[in-house]
Amino acid sequence: LSRCRCIPAMQRELGTLPLAPALRARLAAAGFQTAQELLDTGPCGLSKEIGISREEALEALQVVRQECDGNAARPAGGPGATRKFTALELLEEEQTQGFIITFCSALDNILGGGVQLTKITEICGAPGVGKTQLCMQLAVDVQIPECFGGVAGEAVFIDTEGSFMVDRVVDIAAACVQHCHLIAEAQQEEDHQKALETFSLENILSHIYYFRCRDYTELLAQVYLLPEFLAEHSKVRLVVIDGIAFPFRHDFEDLSLRTRLLNGLAQQLIIIANDHKAAVVLTNQMTTRIGQSQSTLVPALGESWGHAATVRLILHWDNRLEPSKNCEILFVAMRSSLFPGSFLPSLYHKVISLSCSVKCVLYIMSPCSTLRLKSHAVIP
Amino acid sequence: MAAKKLRRAQLSQEMCERLSRYQITTCQDFLCLSLLELMKVTGQSYYEVQKLLCKVSRACAPKMQTAYEMKLRKSVNPSSAFLTTTLHSLDRVLHGGVPCGSLTEITSPPGCGKTQFCIMLSVLATLPVSIGGLDGAVIYIDTESAFSAERLIEIAANRFPAYFDSDEKLLCMTRSIHLYRELTCCSVLKRIMSLEEEVISKKVKLIVIDSVASVVRKEFDTKLQGNLAERSNFLTRGASVLKYLAEEFSIPVILTNQITTSLSSGPGIRADLVSPADDLSLSEGSSVSGKRDSGCVTAALGNTWSHSVNTRLILQYHDLPTRQLLVAKSPVAPFSTFFYTIEKSGLVLQGKTRALVGLPFQLVF
Repeated sequence: LSRCRCIPAMQRELGTLPLAPALRARLAAAGFQTAQELLDTGPCGLSKEIGISREEALEALQVVRQECDGNAARPAGGPGATRKFTALELLEEEQTQGFIITFCSALDNILGGGVQLTKITEICGAPGVGKTQLCMQLAVDVQIPECFGGVAGEAVFIDTEGSFMVDRVVDIAAACVQHCHLIAEAQQEEDHQKALETFSLENILSHIYYFRCRDYTELLAQVYLLPEFLAEHSKVRLVVIDGIAFPFRHDFEDLSLRTRLLNGLAQQLIIIANDHKAAVVLTNQMTTRIGQSQSTLVPALGESWGHAATVRLILHWDNRLEPSKNCEILFVAMRSSLFPGSFLPSLYHKVISLSCSVKCVLYIMSPCSTLRLKSHAVIP
Repeated sequence: MAAKKLRRAQLSQEMCERLSRYQITTCQDFLCLSLLELMKVTGQSYYEVQKLLCKVSRACAPKMQTAYEMKLRKSVNPSSAFLTTTLHSLDRVLHGGVPCGSLTEITSPPGCGKTQFCIMLSVLATLPVSIGGLDGAVIYIDTESAFSAERLIEIAANRFPAYFDSDEKLLCMTRSIHLYRELTCCSVLKRIMSLEEEVISKKVKLIVIDSVASVVRKEFDTKLQGNLAERSNFLTRGASVLKYLAEEFSIPVILTNQITTSLSSGPGIRADLVSPADDLSLSEGSSVSGKRDSGCVTAALGNTWSHSVNTRLILQYHDLPTRQLLVAKSPVAPFSTFFYTIEKSGLVLQGKTRALVGLPFQLVF
């Protein structure tokens, strides 16, 4: 019996269905071409024709049916479906998108509101400049209640370098709670007081989920398991991988394997960021690139890795070993979205100089170029 | 974890046999393949392969802990989190002392007192917990043959005269310091790899490597092609093993490095920089401040190494005999400088200490 209405899904070729390769080979040898033929034959006929057991045939048919039915009836916007939006819907979504604020207004301003959810942000910098500090601060700031402007989420912290210090997180969390108390006192509102009841040191620490990965295998394994973890802990809004470079920088004779693994990781992280509406923050090391006449410091892991992140922050020392002077911070911002291989012309430059506890110079630039700003003015 | 065999990852026997025909025996091999390759190799459908991936990942993924649990665990055992250096201002700034479970680097130009500091810390590690020690043995890997047992005894006798009141106590202390002389990179790495068993059997509470830089700079000339990558490789391998040891046994690991002063003007010391522009700001600084005599310091061994150590203390010359100790990199301490001299009892801090940013970092509102 053929169906009256031709559903395109049923005409799908067998090669596009997720069947085991051996099974597919047998079906091809027996002459099957479309999904419709399979379903028409039925499990018993199938098993006799290609010589597999009835249970295996039934399983294969169920896979095929699920694929075809699923494609026709899958609701728009569900996970894994092809996502179709109009630009207007996207704009509305982006405008209501939460940002992870850092309570450091200059930093938030440059980032356009804070660390953006559903995007990957990469933080590069010389050793000791404060990358891990910033990550620890973000792990606390993601938990700021909504009435104070935060996203009230939880944080996953994947540590590959072992630089996570609980004592420091305690300090940062205590300062954050204190700051919120000050805000609540200044603007006497009801929901502020209620939010503060749950925003305590103990709660903050309990909602930072910490994983220590010792090598790249553990890192890969952890990222594979992350969607499952995030499904169980649906309030997670931040995934930090502190030290994406460290496990990949030694013991890798095969550089093409490394590139492939890194690209795979980047893909999975993009999917995680989108599906769970979380911000992904990675820290990267700087490495020395020997040029003809001089050496320059560039982010590690190569050019192709630069395309993974939407926003790349480069932290840079200024007047580093001058113990008598306060470290000054130059914020230089050049923001563009990710379009691999091109440089968006609509950049804006903002140069602010102020002293802040972060102690860094920020260059935010398109990941496909390693240009530095040649000249910048300092506004005292 | 990476070398875990697949059969211990709870895969079925026949699957393991099938995979071993393709030379895939460990979790690492399995996870490095792409999905298509896995489908081909296992002969399973897409969904089945995803399930297998989850199984294998679960076998090697780390365990989750919340920050709160970590804090509780630390507060249960506060004294074992640090090795106090008995330099009180330094200990205060570092929130207790040299942290256990991470790598600490001591960098200085030749003759400033790195080895002295290491010897002093070795004595401290052998002291009982009641006086601030770790009550354990010390593994000292010496690549420059700079360790002097007589100096060890001198420091011990002068710094803790009340404790080391008899010769016997001194000898007991020297017995718990295990010295290894390694003269090549290869032997240093081999020694580091073999340390796990030693740490357990000898109840070691401190590992000192003095110095990493000398043996690396002897063998790797970074001007030659390919040497920079090889050197980074060697250093990161060493660093990851040491980090593993430090974290697993919760002990401090101390490494020494050399420092080079690049003078922007004047004859002075030969700029023996290993990586010419290790830090962009430093090279800029030296060109801007052209006339100054005191140059800027660059730690040897390059950037990759600087990322691997968690705490960095820099020793520098000041007006002799006073020298300067800088806390250059630390997750818990701000930039601070101290002045010290080297005396019979080891390092002694002088009066004026300056913590640059005062208290630990605070958020700015």
